[in-house]
Amino acid sequence: MTDKSSLNLLAIGYHPEIMQVVHRLINSHNGWNGTIANSLEQAATLLHSNNYDGILLCAGVNEADEAQVRNIASNARIIRHYGGGSGLLENEIRIAFEI
Amino acid sequence: MSKYILHKEDSRHHEYNDWLESKKTFSFADYYNPKRIHFGALRVFNDDIVKATKGFGKHPHDNMEIISIPLQGSLIHKDNLGNEEVIRAGEIQVMSTGSGVFHSEYNHETEQSTRFLQIWIYPSALNVTPHYGRLTLQNAWFDNQFSTFVAPVASEKAAMIHQDAYLSMGKFSGDKEFSYTIQQNGNGAYLYVIDGSIDIDGHVLSTGDALGISDTAAFNGQVKSNSATILVIDVPMNIQL
Repeated sequence: MTDKSSLNLLAIGYHPEIMQVVHRLINSHNGWNGTIANSLEQAATLLHSNNYDGILLCAGVNEADEAQVRNIASNARIIRHYGGGSGLLENEIRIAFEI
Repeated sequence: MSKYILHKEDSRHHEYNDWLESKKTFSFADYYNPKRIHFGALRVFNDDIVKATKGFGKHPHDNMEIISIPLQGSLIHKDNLGNEEVIRAGEIQVMSTGSGVFHSEYNHETEQSTRFLQIWIYPSALNVTPHYGRLTLQNAWFDNQFSTFVAPVASEKAAMIHQDAYLSMGKFSGDKEFSYTIQQNGNGAYLYVIDGSIDIDGHVLSTGDALGISDTAAFNGQVKSNSATILVIDVPMNIQL
């Protein structure tokens, strides 16, 4: 069971400037630790060597990429992030983890 | 049988800071209410008042259809697609943010506040090429009838978004009856009363109230005030997130 006060999150997205913002927003939240992957290959490497509570799929990640991520990380919660910024990110994580 | 969800004006989340007064119908940013997440593909409905010269600095968006409707004053929009536009009351702008866009929105007025509706709709496809559009609305389009000004296909009277969603408005005179037909099978309608008072199937709505209607092909209503301006957001109800 996930400790909801502390979350280790991987955010995958192919727009580097947006991902910098997503990274900053995740880490600005007390207890949330974000790691960014700017490519599917980088994400696969990180997923093979780390455990994440949740994986955020951000700008540029398509349905085929999502299927690959789900295949590699079958135990993590997969969260599609819409909006690319502060508006929905916290909401989406809270919904996924019922916080 | 039609389903209704009523959002009264005073049930919206109301917050202030030194430059922004915002009424949020659905959960957004720090506001989180599990019972107020979305109505079908409609995810954000913020009614914002921005003080003179203030606004939202450069920030990113992706994969969201964002419609801004100034009700009073004007906004200056700048984005990394090269668009720099002033949008006044009586005009609208749409952004299909798709694979990613950075933009800013400031109150263009130097002395008065600007009020605008900020509407976000989930897109039907991911990572589309970002697109910006604006449209000047003509009063005659809305005179005692609904006219659609945002649609999946662009026209002289409608700006395009990447979703099977439609925004329409009507300005009706007192005691007028009105009707609206859902524009696509499976869609529902989210009505927002910009001003006035109306009755829909026994639901009395006043300025700032909203009513979500689903599982119906059409609905009727009646104006209960001297006049009423009604916004209808017609969106798919079954969406995969």
